[in-house]
Order: sequence, then C-alpha cells, then structure tokens
Amino acid sequence: MLRKRLIAVVTIRNHWAVQSFGFQRYLPLGKPECIIENLDRWGADEILIQDISRSQSGAGPNMELIEKIRQLHCSTPLTYAGGIDSAASAIAAVQGGVERIAIDQLLHQNPDQVYDIAAALGSQAVVASIPLGIGADQSIQWYDYKHNRYRAMSEPVLGLLADNVISEAIVIDHVNEGRANSFQFTLLDYFANIQVPLIAFGGLSECRQLEKALLDTRVAAVAMGNVLNYREHQLQHYKQQLSAISAMPVRSAHYQRTYWYAS
Amino acid sequence: MTEIDYCQRCLYSTDHPLGLTIDDQGICSGCRIHEEKDSLDWDYRWSLLEALVNDYRSPSPSTYDCIVPVTGGQDSYFILHLVKNRLKLNPLIVSYNKYWNTPLGIHNLANLRIQFNCDILIQNVNPVSVKKITRSTLRQLGSIYWHCIAGQTVFPVQTAVRYKIPLIIWGAHQGVEQSGMFSHEHAVEMTRRYRKDHDLMGMEADDLLSDFDTLTEGDIWQYRYPDDDELHQVGVRGIYLSHYVRWDPKAQHQQMIKHYQYKTARFARTFDCYDYVDCFNYMDIHDTIKWYKHGYAKVTDHACREIRHGRLSREQALKLVDYYQQQAMQYFPLFCEWLGVDQKGLNFVLDHFRNSTYWQKDENKKWQFRPPQQLQNNKVNDDTDRDLALSDGAHFIDNSSLLRDKHSAYITIGKGWP
Repeated sequence: MLRKRLIAVVTIRNHWAVQSFGFQRYLPLGKPECIIENLDRWGADEILIQDISRSQSGAGPNMELIEKIRQLHCSTPLTYAGGIDSAASAIAAVQGGVERIAIDQLLHQNPDQVYDIAAALGSQAVVASIPLGIGADQSIQWYDYKHNRYRAMSEPVLGLLADNVISEAIVIDHVNEGRANSFQFTLLDYFANIQVPLIAFGGLSECRQLEKALLDTRVAAVAMGNVLNYREHQLQHYKQQLSAISAMPVRSAHYQRTYWYAS
Repeated sequence: MTEIDYCQRCLYSTDHPLGLTIDDQGICSGCRIHEEKDSLDWDYRWSLLEALVNDYRSPSPSTYDCIVPVTGGQDSYFILHLVKNRLKLNPLIVSYNKYWNTPLGIHNLANLRIQFNCDILIQNVNPVSVKKITRSTLRQLGSIYWHCIAGQTVFPVQTAVRYKIPLIIWGAHQGVEQSGMFSHEHAVEMTRRYRKDHDLMGMEADDLLSDFDTLTEGDIWQYRYPDDDELHQVGVRGIYLSHYVRWDPKAQHQQMIKHYQYKTARFARTFDCYDYVDCFNYMDIHDTIKWYKHGYAKVTDHACREIRHGRLSREQALKLVDYYQQQAMQYFPLFCEWLGVDQKGLNFVLDHFRNSTYWQKDENKKWQFRPPQQLQNNKVNDDTDRDLALSDGAHFIDNSSLLRDKHSAYITIGKGWP
C-alpha cells in the first residue's frame, strides 16, 4: 500500500525563511538551509521549498539557494517552487538537485508552458500549487497572489489537471494559511471530479485534522509549514500520533542517533 | 543584496542577524510582536504555564522537577524567582564556566545560590580546548563568544539527558524579544535548529572541524547536542518564561535588586547596567565585534527594547546609540593575554570581519564607521548631552562595579568567590 506523506513546507522571502500568515503577514525564521537540514534529519517525507519573492520580481528560480541545499546532501525528496516560468527554468531547478518543481504563477500566466515542462521532466516531477478561498456566495475561488485577486479556475488549468500533465495538486487554504486548526475541508471538494492526487495545506496543525485529511482517498499528503518550527520533534510527534490510529498508512517517526567512532 | 529597510518605530533594520520583516506601515516584526505584551491576558497565560509544569512535578522531594540554566548576570535571578517562589518547583541549576568571569558575576552567582537555596552544577571544559575553539571561531566566524553560547545552550540539555530531568526552563526567547520571530501565543520551545541557526551562527561543534585547522574531536565533543533519540527517550523539552509572563528586563532586574541584592555595574559601551555583568568580554570585545560585523552594537538592542517599552523616544535612543557604540574597549589587553595573542594580530583578524556596508577606510587607511542614512542626524556632543538623552525613564541603577574593587583578572573557577 502506498503510504501517505507528511510534507514540510519552507517558505522563503527575500532570502530568509519566514512564517507566512494568509499570504499577507510574515515573521522571520532563519536560514533556509538550517531549517531544511533539520527537517531532513527529522525524517520528513518530502520538503517543499517555496521562494515567494521570485515570481513577484520575475527573477526566475533561486539557483543560489538550490545549490546551497544540494550541498546539504539531503535524503528527503525536495520540491522547489518559485520563479519557474519555463521548461528551461524547470529543468535548471531539477538539474540543480531538487526532485520536483511546483508551479503557481505559471498556471495563471501561461499554462500551456506546463505541457513543455511535463514533456521535459515527466509529469511525476510537476506539481500544481493552487491557493483557494471561499467567496461571499460560498463559491470556491482561485487566488492569484501576485495580483492579489480572485478568479475562477481557468479551463486550460482544469485541462492540465484532467490530462494528468500534473502529478499532484497542492490545495492551499490561502486565507487560513499559518492559522492553527483552521483548514477548510470543503476546498478539497472542488476537485471531486478530477483524478489528480491532492496535497492539503494551510491551517493544518492538529492531529485530528491531519487524520481527517489523510483518510480522504483523494488526499496523498498533508503539508505543514509554520507549526513545524514551534517544538522540537513536532513532525515526529504527528507521525507517532497518526501511527497510533489504525489503518493510517504513514511512515513511522524517526529519531536520529549518531554512532561516534574513535578516530 | 536586498535593500535594507528600517523600522519607523525602533532602530532595527531588515539587516538584523536574526532576520526581521517590516510591514506595510513601516513597523518591524519585533515591534509588532512586542505590542502583544499590552494586549494578551497574562493571568491566563500564567495559568497555562502552571498547567504545563504540573506534569513535571516530582512526587519525591529527593529529585529535581526541572533544570534552570543560570549565569551571574542577565535574568537568572528573575527566572529562579518565578520557578522557586511562584511555581514552587525544585530546580537543579546549571551554569557553564565561560572563563571570562568578572568578580561581580561570581559574587552574583554565589549570592543567587544563597538567596534561592538551589543545588548547582557547573561545567568546566578544559581551558586548552576552550582557547583552541576561541581561536578557531575567531578565524572562521569572527566570534569569540561561540564557545560561551554553545556551552550555555548545550550543557543544560546534556544534563537533562544524563539526569533524566525532562523540563528545562529558560527566561526570554531572544528571537521573539528582538525580531518578533514568533508570537507569544505560539509558545515556541527550545530546538536544536534554532540553536544552530541563530545562537551558533550556523555552525555546530562538528562543523568547526576541518583538515585545515588544529581543532580535533577531543576539543569539541563537550559541545555536541544530544541526539534526537536521546532527547526523545527522556522527553526533553525547553520552555521560555517570556511566553507566559509580560517580560520587562529593566523592571525585573530592579525588583531583583530590591529583594535579592542583585548587583549591577556601569559599562562603557551601553547605558544598561543589568545585563552581562558576569563577563569581561560580552559588553566589550564581543560587542565591538558585533558592531564591526553588523553595523550596530548591544546598545542598539537595549535602546530598541526601551523604545518598545515606552521609556525612550526614538530620538533619545539614536543619541544614546551614537554616543555609546563608539566607546573604546576596556578589556582588550586582558583578552589578548588570556588567548596568548598579540593585540595588533587580533585587530588584524577582527578587521577582516568589518562589514563593508557600514565600514570603509579613509584616505589615511583608518577605518571609518558609516552609519546608515536613516539613523543619522542625532549626534551627541558630550556626556551632558548623553545624560540628557537618558531621561528618568531610562535611568539604570549601578550599585557595584565589574571588578568590585578586588580583582582585575578573569576568575576562571569562581566557586563562592566573595
């Protein structure tokens, strides 16, 4: 049986890892490489590194950061997001050392490019990052953070999801991102007729929320960011709690032990 | 490099070494998080702390409930006051001997043990290794203080594992207090990641080892953080009192002076007389290096704190910073003698760490500090001007001196020294 994953999210803004709250407010955390190294040691199932400054400034992927991360020799699969605007930049990021790339702004600006990226890298290496919100009329709206506006999901993007060009979609509750215990599960229903596996993100902090999300057959993984920085071994704590729940297929918690040898 | 922005309320910038964000109103994350101090229900937060520590109370009086790291300065008295007198816990206090102890710090530490009647463990790493590490971190990081911070942050955790005492109680979380890294309500706890990232400037003990250096594993093993597995087996967690108490170091110290005879001293390089009185070097050579590397010194940290507490205006703070950060070191020769280095040689090494954003050589090859434009126009002419800037609200009590008129050398082992 395929195990479901706990993904650790590291958000980067102006070269600093930050806590993000609703895509609007940010608090500093530290050096991205220190946080990624720690999550790797903790045994995260995947690390999503998203540099939110890159698409805003049109700077392309942060290759300097990717190189720093490569030098960490992480054993955890890495997904990079931020500034991926073409097949060439996606290839550069993967050649730089990450396993997958995630795209957000490209879906708004030039979704046809995603076919080229999938053709070059394989669809297993392409993830869609889809921030959603619920409008006053209770309709689910797609959020464009670069222009701070909502819109309906476009037909070309729905086509990408239906055509299996994208391997997984990150469903982000953008309003509740960073807020404890606040993920709106109705957002997942937006993808009821689409087969692409989902990653739930934004406002997940309690074990019972993780359990509810992971028991949903459409959900392949849950992602968490801010909350992983509040306690030692927070990720292992979640895994232990989830493992105790019967039929919850997650990798067991890992606590690193070093064996020192006399030199 | 990203452009440096300055907070419109305090004196910090986005170039802060802990990281700092500035919002749409031009106010920094540190000032925003500080605002919580006046909006949170602190009685409720204290009840959260009481509930938390209840799980760690030992049923037997013959074992310890928690570990409290202490020095002969900073917030040690106030932390123990809360832990022993208000929470009624039985702590084992632990201290790392940094070797650069002042007579005042040794006095304060001895008095602390008497006032609070606690058992203490002191870690003395052999001085040969400490000197080797200091030389290495000076070369690699431009830091003399790495071993002090590494020792102070690892010895309590090692003790927690060895003695199977899972709860460690710290005072303030520096990242919250200075740069607003977390909300108080996040109740963030001690992590190895934070220690490496911020306390140790990205270098844990083993990262110091190199084929091109004289340090060996035998020098650094005492500074290794316990493994995740060891921490997990004991259930070690470190909490910060500043998430549960409205933290105000000035008011707290004055309470400790009044009730427990905490002794303080005036420094050359800052107006705060309470912090770091236990060390010859923190407010001296270490502070000067901070100025070289980051373009600001500890006096800026103190001034920002006092602005946020409403006891200094931004203009007063700028004058104080301008006056104090330029003051000369007083104990530089003492440090060179201890380390066995030539003063010119050490200055040569330190000059390599001057930040070119803030420092430039003039036509006479002399280093000149270039304060950022946003922090200029507040020149202090003399001591009178400085004293005017120190309004009544920013007055600090100095009731002793670092040397206590007794000894002008490091007290390397200071068990109960008067």
